[in-house]
Amino acid sequence: MIKLNINGQAREVDVDPATPILWVVRENLDMTGTKFGCGIAQCGACTVHLDGKPVRSCSTPVSAAEGKAITTIEGIAGEDGTLHRVQQAWIEAQVPQCGYCQSGQIMAATALLQKNPAPTDAQIDAAMAGHVCRCGMYNRIRQAIRAAAGQPAGTETVA
Amino acid sequence: MTLARPLACLSLFMLPACGADPAPGPVEQMVVREPDAAPVAIAAAAGNDSPASALIAEGKAAFANCSVCHTAEQGAGNRAGPNLFGIVGQPAGRAAGFAYSDGLKTSGIVWTAAELDRFIANPAGRIPGTKMIAGGISDAAKRQAVIAYLESLTAS
Amino acid sequence: MSGTATDSPAKKGKWTRRAFIGAGVVAGGALVVGVAVRQGNPIDRLSPLLLTSGEDEQLLNAWVKVDADNIVTAVIPHVEMGQGVYTALAQMLADEMDADWNKVRIIEAPADKQYVSDSIGRDFLLPDLEVPALFEPTVAGGILELAQAMGLQFTGGSYSVRATGQRAMRTAGAAAREMLVAAAASEWQVPASEITTADSMILHAGSGKSEPFSKFALAAAEQGLPARPRLKSPENYRIMGQPKARHDIPEKVDGSAIFGIDARVPGMKYAAVRAAPVVGATVESMDATTARTMPGVLQILNMGDFVAVVADGYWQAQQALNSIDTKYSKTEADSLDQDAIFARYARYLDEAGEDGGDMETEEGDAAKGFAEAAIKVEAEYKVPFLAHATMEPMNCTAWVRDGKCDVWSGHQAPVNARQAAADAAGLSFEDVTYHNAYLGGGFGRRSESDNIVMATRIAKATGYPVKMIWSREEDMAQDHYRPSATSRFRGGLDKDGKAVSWSNIHTHLFDPKDAPTVPYYNIASYRIRKVDVPMQLRLGPWRSVDHSQHGFFIESFVDEMAHAAGKDGYAFRRELLAGSARHLKVLDTAAKMSGWGSALPERHGRGIAFVPSFGSIVAQIAEVDMSGPKPKVKKVYVAADPGFVINPDGFTAQMESAIAYGLTAALYGEITLGDGKVRQSNFHDYPMLRINEMPAVEVALINGDHERLGGGGEPGLPPIAPAVTNAIFAATGTRIRELPLSRHNFA
Repeated sequence: MIKLNINGQAREVDVDPATPILWVVRENLDMTGTKFGCGIAQCGACTVHLDGKPVRSCSTPVSAAEGKAITTIEGIAGEDGTLHRVQQAWIEAQVPQCGYCQSGQIMAATALLQKNPAPTDAQIDAAMAGHVCRCGMYNRIRQAIRAAAGQPAGTETVA
Repeated sequence: MTLARPLACLSLFMLPACGADPAPGPVEQMVVREPDAAPVAIAAAAGNDSPASALIAEGKAAFANCSVCHTAEQGAGNRAGPNLFGIVGQPAGRAAGFAYSDGLKTSGIVWTAAELDRFIANPAGRIPGTKMIAGGISDAAKRQAVIAYLESLTAS
Repeated sequence: MSGTATDSPAKKGKWTRRAFIGAGVVAGGALVVGVAVRQGNPIDRLSPLLLTSGEDEQLLNAWVKVDADNIVTAVIPHVEMGQGVYTALAQMLADEMDADWNKVRIIEAPADKQYVSDSIGRDFLLPDLEVPALFEPTVAGGILELAQAMGLQFTGGSYSVRATGQRAMRTAGAAAREMLVAAAASEWQVPASEITTADSMILHAGSGKSEPFSKFALAAAEQGLPARPRLKSPENYRIMGQPKARHDIPEKVDGSAIFGIDARVPGMKYAAVRAAPVVGATVESMDATTARTMPGVLQILNMGDFVAVVADGYWQAQQALNSIDTKYSKTEADSLDQDAIFARYARYLDEAGEDGGDMETEEGDAAKGFAEAAIKVEAEYKVPFLAHATMEPMNCTAWVRDGKCDVWSGHQAPVNARQAAADAAGLSFEDVTYHNAYLGGGFGRRSESDNIVMATRIAKATGYPVKMIWSREEDMAQDHYRPSATSRFRGGLDKDGKAVSWSNIHTHLFDPKDAPTVPYYNIASYRIRKVDVPMQLRLGPWRSVDHSQHGFFIESFVDEMAHAAGKDGYAFRRELLAGSARHLKVLDTAAKMSGWGSALPERHGRGIAFVPSFGSIVAQIAEVDMSGPKPKVKKVYVAADPGFVINPDGFTAQMESAIAYGLTAALYGEITLGDGKVRQSNFHDYPMLRINEMPAVEVALINGDHERLGGGGEPGLPPIAPAVTNAIFAATGTRIRELPLSRHNFA
């Protein structure tokens, strides 16, 4: 049995320790907010936090999470359900289109702002370049991150 | 304008079939276990039962995870990672056609079992900037098995 | 009860006046107005989905219901794959109904033949038929039945707003409103003309009466169908044209949105699959010795055309599958390779020569025009196969037991998916329940049902629910690719640099049939032909379908002609569009926005492209920086006229989206074949555009004709590749005739 701390809750799972965190979360813990996109850490859809740092859960065995805190998209809102300011910024900017990549994008963005509350555009790009959005909402993602950081949204997309 | 015009977004122009034959069932169906039955212990692979071959079999099974990015057969191509046929004993960075990271190309490593063990345990720690961003194996026994399997890959 | 066509006997004699009013007796399409759900009414099978609180709810019509809390629920017969269709269609219905937008809920129509998109059927089947106004009973009836027969309930072709929205949703809303007003007029004993509606309230100024819609919903259903519900004109739009926030976005930021891959069925097991990599091959043998011993494995299946492992978890299934050695049969496609394909295209084009191939359209004598032209231009272009690469890999969950089948997936054509499952399971349509979910990207890929069939076959073999997930590698290998193509042009210009002749012969034509044609450009003579080249590869619709190839071909060649004429690309196109005010406005707007003609830094260039498609007119100008080793697209200016923009924010997002999707393809997209197999497997060798390469996008929206709506999902794509390659020419003098750009060395 593997003991996990996930979104602040203690859970135990009976799985092969080599199983990637992604599949433990989705299948054993029934939390489908974290997504499968490529399986080789190339797209970012599977991003979760391990002790606050973003990791690719498709390529991280669950054994690596023992003794650490896992946070998934389901766990970043407040206890009372108040959305994280990044999530609120995402809604304000109407970021998601199909939405499939957005859990991973949001997890990367929240980790970025936790580490660096006032990122430059170059820092935003560096933190987010590992994330593919097939619907192409990159400009809105950058604008939402700036807004969540309390900066002007910028003019990448103007209508 | 005829009604036979194909539909833009349905490349299968399907009329509902009445009583169509179902699509073919399995040609071969191996039922290893019923869904509610307890999982069986991992059996040794068929073939001879020596500890060495058991280790190689275990390594081959573990290699399944690696095979997302690496092929193991002779002459098979590169994927996200290079082909690993005959890798044991080779200098690092030599698989034809693979774009290795600078770190690996200039590392001077020769892939002895010990070097493989060190690398697979923590690829990014051993070679910063390595393209092997996934697939590290933290379990020493499992690494041993995978390396045994890699060693077994020789021209037959 | 108005004595109109509503009283004519419904085609299906068993229907009563207050039952489903079927074929031919509806206003404008598959709309069913004034339906009340009653015992014994076949509509009852829909009622569990729509009625939540019991008898006092009336199903005003199958598109909208009003409940006791005065909530208006819009039933949307389309799928949400990121294009904002739920919200846009609800806006159209709610505006006509004068509903309070804050009290509008949206649900997706079940995969039921009743919800077929007759509007789409009409556009596909009889697009040239100009049907006057809204009442065409016989025609509507015929179309409805045919559409039903073909299982048309799908989302694609950039049709949802311009067909279903324009014809059905607005009519439903307007009809519902008129029936509510008629009911109030009857109760209050005042003329209907004195009654107004606003924010889900019915008002009579004279007496000061005001009541919510819900008060009259029951009585409204007793009213007759309005013969011609009056639709609003734009000055009265209050919800259409507004950037209303999308209803589905909150659940897409908190992880609660359910996509096909997220289906949950108690007792569900997981399957990983690998189909033969070469089209037409079958599994000759498989060595599953190792796989049988691996953890979690339940079953290993050789299905003939693919191998499947069923296990307690997807990862376990995929690990075991990876260890299986499979041998495949030989097929004639084994030798298919990249060079051979394009050589085949060249051979077919050569053989067609001057007079072969199939004529698509011609006007005047283009050959003569070319022969006599003062300036002659010739060029050949090539584009590769492309993968869809939706973020969510293909998947499907199925359960077959006791003569019933349940299927879960995200699909662009739910009725087709349901039928595909029925066929695969050997059951009837009625025995299958199809559960649709959000799509993690459609782009045309999810209009196919291959995943549905595979999962159903596996589930039938095991007897328990199975979720089949394709690895990214499998998704890449088993796509239905955007076809590659070669296109050859000859253009003639007179001594003043005016285009007088246009000849084109190209491989492949799928849809829309007018994609290779340029009726909007004034060219005295043209001759456009195609050759069909057999290709042993699965091909399918890809975002903007044939406009994705022909947009590049045409707008590149127009630019080459402009250059040969010594004219600027914008000025040349102005001449070609002369007299067409609506087209010119779009072109001029784009040029003005971009500062066309103004100075740019060294090694920077601007390129222009103009492509009308799916009823919308789009011009794009790309600014590209060629000072580095690779092209950097800095900014794209877009002018777009879709007739009328229902949701400006949504439409703008679709322009950004199409640009990103098309630019990814232009920069990197290439599916190549070797030994009959697709060589690319994941995002390391099929690269994606990422945030650091996304250009800034500026969009100007033009409402050019509110009665003829164009699409939003696709029209932003065709212009981007030629805008970029034309910009590269402007910056460097290098003409790109072959995509992707990664093939070329710009250092």
